[in-house]
Amino acid sequence: MPTSLEDGTEDVRRKATRDGWRLLGQSLKAEWRGIAFGVGVGLVWTFAKVSVPKLVQLGIEEGIEQQLDGALMKWSLIILGAGVLAAIFTGARRYFAFRVSRSVETTLRHRLFAHLQRLHFAFHDKAATGQLMSRANTDLQQVQAFVVMIPVTFSNAITVVAATAIMISINATLALLALGALPLVNILAKRFSSRLHPAVMGLQQELAELSDVVEETVSGVRVVKGHGAEPIQAARLRKEADDVFDRSVETARIRATYLPAMELLPNLGLVMVLGYGGYQVLRGDLTIGQLVAFNVYLALLVWPLRSTGLIVSLAQRAAASADRVYEVLATAPAIADPPHGKVLPPGGGELRLEGVRFGYLDGAPVLDGMDLVVPAGQSVAIVGATGSGKSTVARLIPRFYDVEVGTVRIDGVDVRDLRLNELRRSVGIVFEETFLFSSTIRSNIAFADPDASDEAVERAARLSGAHDFASQLPDGYATVIGERGFSLSGGQRQRIAIARAVLADPRILILDDATSAVDPTKEHEIRDALDEVMRGRTTIVIAHRPATIALADRVVLLDGGRIVAEGTHDELLATSERYRQVLASADAEGDTDSAAEPGAVRA
Amino acid sequence: MGAVGEADALDRGEAKQVLRRAWRRLSPYRKLVISGALLSVLWTGTIVAGPFLVRYGIDKGMRQDDSGALNVAIGMFVVVTLVSYVTYRALIITINQVGEQFLRDLRVQVFDHLQALSMSFYDREKAGVIISRMTADVESLSELVQVGLIMFVSNALLLVITVIVLFAMSWQLALVCLIGLPIVVVASIKFQRESNKAYLTVRDRIGQTLSSLQEGLSGVRVIQAFGREDVEVGRFGRRNQGLFDAHMHSVRISVWYFPIVELSGIAGTAAVIGIGGMFVRDGIVTIGTVAAFVLLLANLFEPVQQLSQLFNTLQSAGAALSKLFGLLDTPVELSEHLGAVDLPRHGDIAVESVSFAYASGAPVLRGIDLHIRSGERLALVGPTGAGKSTLAKLAARLYDPTEGRITYGGVDLRHATLRSLRERMVVVPQEGFLFNGTLADNVRIGRGDATDDEVAEALRAVGALERFAALPLGLQMPVNARGTRLSAGEKQLVSLARAALADPDVLVLDEATSSLDPGTEVLVEAAIERLMEGRTVVVIAHRLSTSQRADRVGVVAGGELVELGTHDELVEQGGHYAALFASWAGGLARQ
Repeated sequence: MPTSLEDGTEDVRRKATRDGWRLLGQSLKAEWRGIAFGVGVGLVWTFAKVSVPKLVQLGIEEGIEQQLDGALMKWSLIILGAGVLAAIFTGARRYFAFRVSRSVETTLRHRLFAHLQRLHFAFHDKAATGQLMSRANTDLQQVQAFVVMIPVTFSNAITVVAATAIMISINATLALLALGALPLVNILAKRFSSRLHPAVMGLQQELAELSDVVEETVSGVRVVKGHGAEPIQAARLRKEADDVFDRSVETARIRATYLPAMELLPNLGLVMVLGYGGYQVLRGDLTIGQLVAFNVYLALLVWPLRSTGLIVSLAQRAAASADRVYEVLATAPAIADPPHGKVLPPGGGELRLEGVRFGYLDGAPVLDGMDLVVPAGQSVAIVGATGSGKSTVARLIPRFYDVEVGTVRIDGVDVRDLRLNELRRSVGIVFEETFLFSSTIRSNIAFADPDASDEAVERAARLSGAHDFASQLPDGYATVIGERGFSLSGGQRQRIAIARAVLADPRILILDDATSAVDPTKEHEIRDALDEVMRGRTTIVIAHRPATIALADRVVLLDGGRIVAEGTHDELLATSERYRQVLASADAEGDTDSAAEPGAVRA
Repeated sequence: MGAVGEADALDRGEAKQVLRRAWRRLSPYRKLVISGALLSVLWTGTIVAGPFLVRYGIDKGMRQDDSGALNVAIGMFVVVTLVSYVTYRALIITINQVGEQFLRDLRVQVFDHLQALSMSFYDREKAGVIISRMTADVESLSELVQVGLIMFVSNALLLVITVIVLFAMSWQLALVCLIGLPIVVVASIKFQRESNKAYLTVRDRIGQTLSSLQEGLSGVRVIQAFGREDVEVGRFGRRNQGLFDAHMHSVRISVWYFPIVELSGIAGTAAVIGIGGMFVRDGIVTIGTVAAFVLLLANLFEPVQQLSQLFNTLQSAGAALSKLFGLLDTPVELSEHLGAVDLPRHGDIAVESVSFAYASGAPVLRGIDLHIRSGERLALVGPTGAGKSTLAKLAARLYDPTEGRITYGGVDLRHATLRSLRERMVVVPQEGFLFNGTLADNVRIGRGDATDDEVAEALRAVGALERFAALPLGLQMPVNARGTRLSAGEKQLVSLARAALADPDVLVLDEATSSLDPGTEVLVEAAIERLMEGRTVVVIAHRLSTSQRADRVGVVAGGELVELGTHDELVEQGGHYAALFASWAGGLARQ
């Protein structure tokens, strides 16, 4: 019979740890009822299915060979009954198997996502999104593929045992001759998948390399065409296409070696049945009914024998996958609600950093002995060279990371004593890298508060300079943006991000280089708006453009992990050599700025 | 297993056409195809022969007490079994040989065609779609070739041959026990349709769940910053549940189908015993025939089931093939004319009443006249979308003008050989783009046959050799298009070195809009400056400093060349350029 056994290949490269098995066990335990049902239902199916050849034997013997009255009717009706039973229970087994396995998959995926959402920034800094995605996708599919096979595996095992027992009870010698070669099928099936798997992986690898060439040629088409480099790329593609061809032929050769051999063995069993069994019939030691039953049993056994090896490798792969999932689930959130989280007292958002030391996992402290006080309602610009830790300061305030030494206080309360939700709703941050969700402009702006009125959304948009372009889009605020929607310029995206922060009406607003992508010719528009947003609100501005820095009441210069100078922009220009240096190097990033400020900046 | 959306499914006429074309493409391997067909017939024949021989052995051997006849049956069975083994093996190899060669040639041909297509094709089509032709579409064909085709052909043959043999042995009994067959066929067709639909929903929901997941992960910082974790988890939960529901829906569809197949098979067996037994008593059939029926019926319904599942693979392969043929049919716009001549070594570029429109839209450029002297540096400025980059690219024949003509040294670019065109004119795009390979390979994109020394020389010419030679593996360092270790500025340096290696007479430069880190910025500027020396340069300028340094500035607005002159002239003139200059400077001077 032509089949597609190849779908179940073996993967023993990764050895699953105990954690993987434990998570699998846990998930199965939660669904034990469904699994028990599936297995139970499967056993009924096995019973019906295995009884059919025996019933056929009895029907032929009594009805045809012995020609007993009523026997034909009796046995054919019983066979029909077995058929009805098998039919009903094959459907039920399928249903339970899929229900349970999908349920396990869905539950784990939900747990994974919920957990990831609560994991600290430092975790996400290290983890690649693609990796996490594949855990929630490919790995869970592996788990599902194993769980779905559990009921049918029980059925198969019982089928093998029961059919073998019946055959032996009919004629032990014939059973031995007919079945003797069959364990080899099992061995061949295992060897087949262990040889095919690496070949298929190799083929996948070659296919990936081929699509890399295609992808880079298409994305780099401007370069290829600009240089007339088509022949170079064509030669590379030919090489990859040849590699793919070679690998494919290799896998075909493996198929050609094993698949026919796996067909051959049961066929040899059939030859034995006809050869030895035929003479037994001649001698009167075997009935024709029994001979037919042997034939049918052999056919019945092939598939279960081939697939028993499968469940082992499926289980191994599932455990390895579960282990990768467990690894994420077992990571405890480093930043969590304190046991008795406080609520912020009324206040204007006074911010106080005292003796703060902080370093990222892999290195020296970025901040060391940093003190900063921002009185309620004031705005401070933090200026510093690249890597001086400006953005780090911004991230410590809403507790994306915890300080190692020192404290961060808002209106006198240590941020670590506040309920996280409370804290983060009080601190609005606009990140340097703008992230917007694929949904409407409105829901992006109203992210903090989806129930915000249209007026509130529009007000926030006006304040951030987003209203003008947003209202001119075809669908206005209802325009869907993002990957599959309307694409905005970097500056427009930043303005929406600012509006998002403004709408939340935070006590403290942090603008982390929030206008870097705004076209210099348009920046002044935003500057007016920002002026208004910042009025009376504690604000931290991180920027290199002098124009943006000048928005703040006060400027502090961050160097060597601490604040080394502070004052107004003009004061610092006049007094601090380091300040001038830092601004001058930042200036090279946009020479249009320097055109405006030749005297001031090129000191 | 693939599934096909209704929009993609081919109608009968299209399917016929695709088949005919595929058949024509197979002509180089026709011998292999024919032997493959013969092998499949032979192989399926051996599968059906087994029960037939059992029948012979029972009727002629056991029932007649004729051990000679039994021996014949056994001997034949041995032969058939061996033939089955050999033919199956040969079949797998043959079909894969044909299929993989077919795929290899198709890949190469489609890729060559893709590369021959003009820039306007790439502007029109999304990169993802183009790439998926060469990947997803070819792979759905490859799935068919690898396993699907053998299974499809053998199952179809098995079904047909079995039915024929059953009728040949006893048409009466065949009629009785095949009553289930039409039911299974109808159920299979219905099941195939519904499960295909269900599968499309599942695929859709998988996409939604994954994109929700992806968004939740890439946006996790924003979500946490706004304390919206619970809401996002809830949103994801609904998507996730939706996926579960879709899965369960598709399971429920199969829950009625598989029992029908199961029951039809066993009911057929019951009928063979009941009715066949009566026929034996009446002498209509032999007991051997009953036995053969039992054995053949056991395997009859499986092919139907498999065929219905393979139908999807077949359909999506057909759809893929049709799309690929469609791509091959897309005409190459920038082909080389017959009798094309090499461009002269030096010359002026003359743009004469040129208009240009992309295939789909309104004109981008209208009536442009422009003379660029050999060795001149021309900066093009203007608002985004005004047509300045289109104009620059027309000058290097990345597109052909819709009206008018562009000449170089008096030769119409359309009459130039493509080779000489790319030798004389090189376009350096905005972002430095890297290909998978070593640094040296990447520079060599500029001129494929360049030696390592020439590559190093080109890097030296743009002042980047020291920087790259200092890397651990030097110029042999592997870089790749995605997670590369080079900074944006270094990528631009590579891109400029390519141009230096190509050593063109005309350089079309698209200046980067985004800023670089200060250190590399200086290097890049210097590299550009060196590269421009002694060449005719058309630069799409985004910075004031660039246009200030150019010999002449052209302002493109609304698809027309509205101003042309030196920087100082244009500022004095008080037109568009002066206004642009004022807003540039003014917006910054305000504070």
